[in-house]
Amino acid sequence: MTDFGQLLGVLSHHQVRFIIIGGFAATAHGSAFLTVDLDVVYDRTAENVARLVEALAPLSPYLRGAPPGLPFRLDADTVASGLNFTLTTTAGDLDLLGEAAGGGTYDGLCSHTETRQVLGVDCRFVDLDTLIRLKRAAGRPKDLERIAELETLRLQRDG
Amino acid sequence: MPPPLLESISLAPLPAVDAYKGGIDRTLLLENLKLTPAERVDKMLAALRFAEAVRASRPQSVR
Repeated sequence: MTDFGQLLGVLSHHQVRFIIIGGFAATAHGSAFLTVDLDVVYDRTAENVARLVEALAPLSPYLRGAPPGLPFRLDADTVASGLNFTLTTTAGDLDLLGEAAGGGTYDGLCSHTETRQVLGVDCRFVDLDTLIRLKRAAGRPKDLERIAELETLRLQRDG
Repeated sequence: MPPPLLESISLAPLPAVDAYKGGIDRTLLLENLKLTPAERVDKMLAALRFAEAVRASRPQSVR
């Protein structure tokens, strides 16, 4: 089971700039679905990428679903030459997104976030409307029920 | 305003999404909305731990 507290703790401790999206953000907004991984959009500036790889190094990040033994190393060059990474770590599954579907980059999403403390860590979550937009932009059939729940949540929240 | 590409994503009703709304348990959402974000996360993690425990207790083979 993913240790969300550990993942958020190491990212926060290393002052990594990131925004939480996906199922964990949905949970913070009130979704009743369970989620097993952490999805974050990270700032792709060089100094932030350096902090990111330093933070994750002790957690042995590796490509999720890839056969063991590949010459993969999550270092600054790897992150700079890639964009989105689906990782497994010793603390659980982590999706690092340089850009979410619909053009959701860190800079673009920054003004659509809310900071909340969860698991003892101050975290930036994407706001509910933008989370719905991101899910709609992803266009995955498996998300339809989740979008329906988030839209229902929005209606209930707004009374 | 949302980011440029995202702003083109409308929040208007979509039939494919609305088709699922009848199955949403609103009572669960109302209960969650009474909680803080931290409490919602704690509740989800407790449910995950419970699911994990149920999986771990499953008999290895069924005759």
